Amino acid sequence: MHLPWTTKYRPRRLSEIAGNRDAIDALLNWVKSWDEQVPRKKALLLYGPAGTGKTVSVEALANEYGYDLIEINASDSRTGDAIRRIAGMAAGQAILFGKKRIVLLDEIDGINLSEDMGAIDAILETIEKTNYPVILTANNAWDPKIRALRDVCQLVEYKHVAARDAIPHLKRMAAKEGVDVDAEAIKLIIERDEGDMRSIVNDLQALSSGRKKLAYDDVAWLAWRDRKENIFEALRMIFSAKNCLWAKKAVDVADIDYEMLFEWIYENAPRQLTDLIDRANAMDCLAKADIYLRRVKRRQAWNLLAYVFDLMTAGVALSRERTKPSFVPMKFPERISLMSKTRRIRGIQARVGAKIGRRCHISSMSAVKYYLPYLRIIFENNYETAAGLSRYFGFDEEDIAHLAADESSGLKIEKIYARLTS
Amino acid sequence: MAVAMWAEKYRPSTLNEIKNQTEIVGRLRKFVETKAMPHCLFAGPPGTGKTTAALCLAHDLFGERYMDVFMELNASDARGIDVVRTTVKEFARIATISGTPFKILVLDEADNMTADAQHALRRTMERYAETCRFILCCNYSGKIIEPIQSRCAAFRFTPLSEDDVKEYLRQIAKKENVRFTEDGIKAVIEVAEGDMRKAINTLQAAASLKKTVNEDSVYLVVGRAKPADVKEMLELAFNGDFLKAREKLRLMLVEYGLSGTDIVKQIHSETFRMTIPEKKKVALADAIGEADYRLVEGADEEVQLSALLARLALIAERANQS
Repeated sequence: MHLPWTTKYRPRRLSEIAGNRDAIDALLNWVKSWDEQVPRKKALLLYGPAGTGKTVSVEALANEYGYDLIEINASDSRTGDAIRRIAGMAAGQAILFGKKRIVLLDEIDGINLSEDMGAIDAILETIEKTNYPVILTANNAWDPKIRALRDVCQLVEYKHVAARDAIPHLKRMAAKEGVDVDAEAIKLIIERDEGDMRSIVNDLQALSSGRKKLAYDDVAWLAWRDRKENIFEALRMIFSAKNCLWAKKAVDVADIDYEMLFEWIYENAPRQLTDLIDRANAMDCLAKADIYLRRVKRRQAWNLLAYVFDLMTAGVALSRERTKPSFVPMKFPERISLMSKTRRIRGIQARVGAKIGRRCHISSMSAVKYYLPYLRIIFENNYETAAGLSRYFGFDEEDIAHLAADESSGLKIEKIYARLTS
Repeated sequence: MAVAMWAEKYRPSTLNEIKNQTEIVGRLRKFVETKAMPHCLFAGPPGTGKTTAALCLAHDLFGERYMDVFMELNASDARGIDVVRTTVKEFARIATISGTPFKILVLDEADNMTADAQHALRRTMERYAETCRFILCCNYSGKIIEPIQSRCAAFRFTPLSEDDVKEYLRQIAKKENVRFTEDGIKAVIEVAEGDMRKAINTLQAAASLKKTVNEDSVYLVVGRAKPADVKEMLELAFNGDFLKAREKLRLMLVEYGLSGTDIVKQIHSETFRMTIPEKKKVALADAIGEADYRLVEGADEEVQLSALLARLALIAERANQS
């Protein structure tokens, strides 16, 4: 079945939506409050970036709690008259029997003022007269053209979905489709799509198609899909060039920014040049290119960039004197995948370091060096002391989990910690 | 008894409690007696009492509430010219209101500041010398620019003697009800090499393992606390497995959070212990020194160090052939 996963797995209940718990609770409470009495502000404006679950949470709520959803979105005609006709009817008519209603005006910041004449007035009118909850959504609540609407609405913010909220949903989804996805691979997709669930699910589906397993490296290639051939061509030129000009052409052929090209050359040069002397010379050229690159950046000396190129292309190319030709496949720069794989861990480590530093008169970097190894030993072996030290340093759950040997010992430490603080 | 980090809990709070570094403490006491002090430069290896001495000096000069006129900045966390220009200036330029003659600003790990930042600092030190005294702490005074050195009274902190370390450890063990064997305490002293913080941290970690700290538990701690093995990385490089060596280097930098400078220092001390012709060692030192210099200049740590590994492998190979 080729149904898009975004449709197939569209949440039908509020609990199926990833993240934004606070916003969803606020939405639900507000809608429920209509049962008691009509709230002071009769419209709710859900705002936040695309793909954070604004529309879907209204739909899921209507489905779960049995509301009729009357929906007008950007693709419908939204002239003042059209809105009055649909929304006005839905909001105004009191019905004695039958279901309760919610009026949803989707993507109101997409209103084109010159085309949708009178749309804002019509919406304001609808809100004023309504007998049912009116819910608006927008990406940007502070768009000047909807200011009048903002004033009559209660605001609820939706934020980018955090990785830890999204991962369980995505894993379950993929599992249902028979794909085993690495947590690291999911994290990378989430990062790429900046927490936009719709794009994330679409990418996950596209990447998973025809696979049983989706690993980190499968995703790492994502950004390079179209340019892979160019990069490989550029690298081949560098590693086989006999003269400077030819090697330097690689910069144009690669069609990626030069820092990225540097990473590719840096990863592959020692793989391609296996002779000790060749390798040492090539690495030397790269080290010197790096120094020029720092100078370019530090002093904004763009005229020095030419020397960076010379060293990293021609310098590396002409280092090849003794290495015998043989086929060695090119590799994706491991340093880049490692950096994004460990970004979260390094973030926690820096935070733990800063917490130690504050207590122990030391920089966070030195704290990592001088204290962390010992703390790890304590956290692995003595939960009581670990809990006490967690309190001493003000560690949170994530910090404790980072220091503990495994999940279960982390939980044990947290338990003791909770007892200490209560 | 609330759990604490012992190295912090038992940090001396007044100059009188500092049992070692007698010559330095003597000079600092004079500052307290005369209620006057110059800018100071505290240089010495980690764990020898630089920060402690600065804290104690401020305490003895200004009393319990010294924190009002005392500021501690970490050059590693907040390095760069901007910090000197803003934070340091803000603190230094406002005269004290609590009746103390001056404020004290401690700049820890000052040798991690770039030369540009140090020059900016130099001007600040001069301009606000009336209201604020600086104490610069560093491991190597050589990394502090000459104009700053010449404006500071220099104090050289040396590693603690074995007896001093032993005395401190005994006191802490007694207060924390930690039992230890003679072998155990001896092992701690041996691995600490005069670094009091390392000694106390080792003791605390070992005490968390077993009721009694003995030789075994200490070496267990030491084995685990060593984040990664530079020696192993060098052996890989020397045996021609450059890619594995680079992987190891990457791990040390990214996952263990070691600084490139730390690794260079360890490479330096390791290579001199290796069995290669003495003459080659000079060539090695030259290559290592160049890498060290580049790192200080702010070059990419992994790129520079892996280039160094490739170079070292070549030098070692040639040494074997000749």
